[in-house]
Amino acid sequence: MEFEFKNNQILFDRELSELDEFVIKFVKILDKNKINYVLVSGYVAILFGRSRETEDIDIILEKISFEEFDTLWIEIEKEFECLNTSSSKEAYEEFLLNNTSIRFAYPGKYIPNMEIKFPKKEFEQETLNNKIIVKSENYAFNISNLEKQIAFKLFLGSDKDLEDARHIWNIFKDHLDKTIIIAKAQELKVLEDIINMVLA
Amino acid sequence: MKYSKEELEEYKSQNFKERLKFIDDYTTWLKKTPNKEWSKQQNKILSH
Repeated sequence: MEFEFKNNQILFDRELSELDEFVIKFVKILDKNKINYVLVSGYVAILFGRSRETEDIDIILEKISFEEFDTLWIEIEKEFECLNTSSSKEAYEEFLLNNTSIRFAYPGKYIPNMEIKFPKKEFEQETLNNKIIVKSENYAFNISNLEKQIAFKLFLGSDKDLEDARHIWNIFKDHLDKTIIIAKAQELKVLEDIINMVLA
Repeated sequence: MKYSKEELEEYKSQNFKERLKFIDDYTTWLKKTPNKEWSKQQNKILSH
């Protein structure tokens, strides 16, 4: 695997999958509308080679006003369809402001879908503030800081999440600070046994 | 009862350790394989 990791950027090129193209198409709309976002969770592991599929791509958006959201909604709805509601007002007020995600897929499809939420906990806001950029000639997008991503996966704790954490750790361990992962995981009350087993 | 709780827990734990071992072997392979090659293989399970 070839990549160049420096500061807050990973220069990385790969043959794109349909999933990557779906994500790129969506984040281009966010970029066009100058919306701050970060891709989190399983997609980050998959982007860097994890051998599994996913139904949804988790994305945290900065909290924006309804007017900004409505403008974004109009752009998104040109290429995607919201699976929860056909009303931007309902999506914003009944879902996003109530800490509930909304999902967008290609029209008439259900999978894959982009699962969007505003930050509801401090660590989600931190993730948004500490993102890193993955760049190639064909794309550029924001992903979560990898130490925090691993710690969060340890916190989530399902077999799939722990395997994702191990995958990211194995790929990037020479570029990551293990003490940051451990400190963050401890803050999230992850058991020592789990931390030690996954970061072995 | 056919199986004890301990036996079942041990079975799950062993299964998970084997999964982690697979990830270790797979990431070792990934790290020495060009992006073009591994991503082509991965796309076979992601794009169908």
